[in-house]
Amino acid sequence: MAHNERDTVPLNQSSQSDIDEIENLINYSVQSTVLPAQPPSPPRASIPVSSSPFIQSSLPPPPQKPAFVAPAVPPPVSNRSSNGQQQPSSMTGFGSPPNTLTEPVWDTVKRDLSRIVSNLKLVVFPNPFREDPGKALRDWDLWGPFFFIVFLGLTLSWSASVKKSEVFAVAFALLATGAVILTLNVLLLGGHIIFFQSLSLLGYCLFPLDVGALICMLKDNVILKIVVVCVTLAWSSWAAYPFISMAVNPRRKALALYPVLLMYVSVGFLIIAID
Amino acid sequence: MDLNPPPGENYANPRICFFHVLFKAGALAFYILSALFFDSFVIIFVVTVLLSALDFWVVKNVSGRILVGLRWWNEIDDDGESVWKFECLDQESLARMNKKDSWLFWWTLYLTAVIWIFFGIFSLIRFQADYLLVVGVSLTLSIANIVGFTKCRKDAKKQIQQFASQTIANRFSSTIQSAFSAV
Repeated sequence: MAHNERDTVPLNQSSQSDIDEIENLINYSVQSTVLPAQPPSPPRASIPVSSSPFIQSSLPPPPQKPAFVAPAVPPPVSNRSSNGQQQPSSMTGFGSPPNTLTEPVWDTVKRDLSRIVSNLKLVVFPNPFREDPGKALRDWDLWGPFFFIVFLGLTLSWSASVKKSEVFAVAFALLATGAVILTLNVLLLGGHIIFFQSLSLLGYCLFPLDVGALICMLKDNVILKIVVVCVTLAWSSWAAYPFISMAVNPRRKALALYPVLLMYVSVGFLIIAID
Repeated sequence: MDLNPPPGENYANPRICFFHVLFKAGALAFYILSALFFDSFVIIFVVTVLLSALDFWVVKNVSGRILVGLRWWNEIDDDGESVWKFECLDQESLARMNKKDSWLFWWTLYLTAVIWIFFGIFSLIRFQADYLLVVGVSLTLSIANIVGFTKCRKDAKKQIQQFASQTIANRFSSTIQSAFSAV
């Protein structure tokens, strides 16, 4: 009696459908046939689209690349929200791919551009987030630095009357390797900063120097050049200061900051000296 | 991996495939042909690197998602640690991906890297440091994408296997449970 009842008691709703799900998935993986697109049976909650253990593959970053432009791993974070639905990406692989992927690429472009602008504002202009540098450049991207370095190289090259190609190549190589070396310097001093974040920061801090170089290109007066370069140099250094100094041990602040200032000063000289 | 596209179906996303190939081919073509038309190295450098960077972005954000259903990116979590994240579509959608699309995706990805390596060797032999710089930058961008997507794919396969074995284990245990509860 009780025995019989227990025999016939059906499994509760969710386990039954879970088992259905599991059977379906086993069929997929075992036979690897493409079943027709059935609507998934009700509670799919137990089977996340991109299962969580998968997400935290915190693999070490790919091997360090020499040129700074290289890991232009630019718009990483933006893609999550590119799924139209603002869901935390860790749980939703793609959300519903077809809907968001028919969304034009233009939207992704716009989002990336706005990220560049917001990063620029965070780094170079006074704002309340500068007090907490770790949070400020959380959304690093390398597109901004890439554009600024290329722009600086182009401006310098344009201002030069001879050897334009070499000026460009030298400027680009100097800035790129300089950024990498400065980052390594901070890391080797025991600082806590992420490689790409620091590259991104140093690139964005070039913005004032870009402006200075542009002005110097347009007006060829030596005194004006010196003044402009000094002002923009001070601006760049002020922009870079909190991020670098917070990253290292206070006793080593000067050791970390000095090379950065040195690099910007040498870029400043390059701007003044070009004719 | 076979040398010929899988027969039968057509490309499911011809426009995306076109763009996927466009910037790669553009960068390579510009690099090869520019020596004929332009004297200035600066233009060659800037345009080639720009095309390579655009290609990187397109592959990472657009064709990776649409053609093969994979995505990778980097995040900084609250502790300030950098985390690389890899994601793939759920299995049904993966199985439904167009085979021709993914064939094109992977083949062009590897092929461009190989071609850039050849160019790198040429410029090394000729001691042209500045062209080597261009090749180096383009090569690094291609390799970054290759590494990212390959890791993504491996992770996806591992995940599927893990998941399958997990679900088999779950099913087994729930069968045992129901067997015991029936007793």
